[in-house]
Amino acid sequence: MSIPLEKSGKPNVHDYFCKTECTWCDGCGDYGIMAATKRALVELEIAPHEVALCFDIGCHGNTSDKMLGYRVHGLHGRILPFASGAKLANPNMPVLAFGGDGASFSEGVNHLVHSIRSHYPITFVLHNNANYGLTTGQASSLTWQDQPMNTSPNGIPEDTIRPMDFIFSLQPTFVARTWSGDIPQMTRVLKAAIQHRGFAFVDILQACPTYNKFATHEWLLEKCYDANADGHDPSDLVAAKKIACDTSEKVSCGILYQNEDRPHFYEKLVPRQGVKTTAVEEVEITDVSGLMKEFV
Amino acid sequence: MSRISFKVTGAQGQGINSVGEMVAKGLKRAGHHVFGYREYNSVIKGGHSSYQLDICDCHIESSETKVDMLVCLNYIGLKRDLGSIKKDGVLLHLIPDWKFSAEDQKLLDDNNVNVLYLPMEKILKEHGSRPIVGNMCVTAVVWGLLGRNYDTLKDMAAEQFAHKGEKVIKLNHDFIDEGKKFKEESASEVVIDVPAADSSRTDDLLVTGSEAMGMGMVHAGCRMYCGYPMTPSSPLLKYIADNQNETKMVVKQAEDEITAMQMVSGAMWMGTRAATATSGGGYDLMSETLSLNGIIENPSVMVLAMRQGPSTGLPTWSGQGDMLLSIFGSHGEYPRLVMSVSDAQDSFDLMPEAFNYAEEYQLPVTILTDKHIAEGLYMQPQYDLKKAKIRRGNLVTDQKELDKLVSADRYNPSAKDGVSPRWLPGSKAVTYCAQGDEHDGEGNVEEGGENAVQQMDKRMKKVEAMKAALPDPELFGDENAETLIVSWGSNKGCILDAIKNQKGIAYLHYSYLWPLKTEKLEALAAKAKKTIFVEASYQGHLAKLIKMETGLSFDHQILKYDGRPFFFDELLPQLVS
Repeated sequence: MSIPLEKSGKPNVHDYFCKTECTWCDGCGDYGIMAATKRALVELEIAPHEVALCFDIGCHGNTSDKMLGYRVHGLHGRILPFASGAKLANPNMPVLAFGGDGASFSEGVNHLVHSIRSHYPITFVLHNNANYGLTTGQASSLTWQDQPMNTSPNGIPEDTIRPMDFIFSLQPTFVARTWSGDIPQMTRVLKAAIQHRGFAFVDILQACPTYNKFATHEWLLEKCYDANADGHDPSDLVAAKKIACDTSEKVSCGILYQNEDRPHFYEKLVPRQGVKTTAVEEVEITDVSGLMKEFV
Repeated sequence: MSRISFKVTGAQGQGINSVGEMVAKGLKRAGHHVFGYREYNSVIKGGHSSYQLDICDCHIESSETKVDMLVCLNYIGLKRDLGSIKKDGVLLHLIPDWKFSAEDQKLLDDNNVNVLYLPMEKILKEHGSRPIVGNMCVTAVVWGLLGRNYDTLKDMAAEQFAHKGEKVIKLNHDFIDEGKKFKEESASEVVIDVPAADSSRTDDLLVTGSEAMGMGMVHAGCRMYCGYPMTPSSPLLKYIADNQNETKMVVKQAEDEITAMQMVSGAMWMGTRAATATSGGGYDLMSETLSLNGIIENPSVMVLAMRQGPSTGLPTWSGQGDMLLSIFGSHGEYPRLVMSVSDAQDSFDLMPEAFNYAEEYQLPVTILTDKHIAEGLYMQPQYDLKKAKIRRGNLVTDQKELDKLVSADRYNPSAKDGVSPRWLPGSKAVTYCAQGDEHDGEGNVEEGGENAVQQMDKRMKKVEAMKAALPDPELFGDENAETLIVSWGSNKGCILDAIKNQKGIAYLHYSYLWPLKTEKLEALAAKAKKTIFVEASYQGHLAKLIKMETGLSFDHQILKYDGRPFFFDELLPQLVS
């Protein structure tokens, strides 16, 4: 696999270069995720001005000024509705939303539920480091049991959410899992997610060397395997659920489930059938004499 | 001014609105000025509700507390509302064998009330019909008591039920005949005189404030609407949603108010015009997103439809107690525009302006309305569709101009009036980050103190520029009047009705509440002998704001916070004494 570089005439990774310095810890998974995101966009020949990148709050959110593209850095837990609103206004534009496990499984978990249910045609990248990194390592609802964390020195008294059980209960059409140490795999998964018809859920298990002492880079390296290379068929929902939810021995990665048959939200909007323009292009003073007739 | 009114009361679900609305339509088409007012409780079936129609020989936007005719579909009104009947008025009720208490009987006798019993149970039994059809008979009796022609009513019934077929039309016509028979046999002498008609108004619209606002949004080029149901903002959501197949708008009923506001913000960032509406509780949830739009300088438009009270309060009643919330609610300091509609005219006219200001100054705009406007039924001249112009401010769309941009133009702190160029995602140009953290010109996170000051100054500079561009408050009446009334929102209708034909009294109406323009007010107040402030709140929000901005106090404040609007006969003696 080659990455287009400068002078190819096509978008290249340098186009996404931002002059600001990275501020993540050494060994942070965000470096790899950002590299894979750029690479996926470039390989799909998407230039920075052709993509909307929407970031939640958290360490990952600091990607918002570490690469180019039309970007928004929004509120904690709320990036999914912002991104889906943007997408519905201009369905021609690829929209990627990025959020951590705190934003997506606590603060804004309702948005995750309804975004999957609504089947917005966007890509959601879960930066899953199983803790609140930016606020210095508090437990999230994905933190393992019996792990002393900042503000929970005895480990969490709550149960840990099992994210894949949860996601599969919402009838998703695209579920992938990958991890921050495998840039080629992340690239492959992200490309498929961006090209997916509807809502794509991409769980990226992310090393957090400072605060996550359980699912470390080394642990992920040992446990993760490429399920697709192992022969898993992403159209097989039963098998997908099984290998996605059972992580007791090893952690399946790659495209776990994919279904391109279900129309997405915008395709199901009756008034938009056959409309060629986008809501962005339709802004003008509009004649409402037809609407007035009802009231005479 | 000659005005009369009648009120239909009953349980929710009995269809009292249909009686009032059909009579309103018939009278309007004959050129009579009407204003409709609904009261109901926050339940679906059973709560006591009413629909009042006030009829006048000139334009009105208010109701009276006393009515010329009370129509009671159930017994609750008979026990509760008898005191609202004017002297020599009419009571029409449907309750078999009803015995008035001695006290009630005395009240009716003292007021010389003409009591009519319409045997609806018997009529329904004879026709083997469901109770809801009986409303057409009630409508016909009311119609007859107002001295109207039954054929006109039959034509309207045929129009209303055309989609249900001949059988239903025939049934309704039979019930009109029953009403006519009752009127002629049991109340032949009873007639309520309707004030004179105005033939120039027969083509007027009969619209609620919500419908006016919905049409105004469509007119303004709003192409996306995201909402979450909450009274009294729900009728707007319903209007927009019901008309989506015609307008082809993108409509989304969101999972909550935060979502609705975020989706609107994302959509406007992308470059369309989008809106949402909610009431106080929903506003609380949305307010964090307003703050985001403040710092990323993202235009947004939201409607805050006010009701009375904290928490759930009086969910189906009206009030103005959220005004200061709309100006100061949500964290951090950022520029914003707060405006208020007052009736069906500006609920339409101000929508293009809301979007224009939002885009020109790249900030969140909040439009205040209230339950009284949202559900009030207004007689409204057809809207002038040539008046509104679209203004999108410093929006760069021309490719040659886009080519010249650098990323740091987006939040350039030295931009004139603080309004820097805005260009839309997808534009072939350099990119930027709409950065919710404090940022430099490109939207890169920048926590330096000097930069923080520059960016805050840049954003807040927009306030002065916008304030200069906003219209002054509007004066109704003589600028040398001895008495000056100041108010805003739905109070306007009642105030103008009350001071009509009164000399020496003028009304200054505020549509734009923040930033607050005060020059005109200060000049008028300096000349006036007496200043009166009117608001439907406990604290008198606008008066506090005026005091904060000018030091000016009012001689007299009329405040009301019982959830009811100001009534004509209640306000008149307080204004004109």
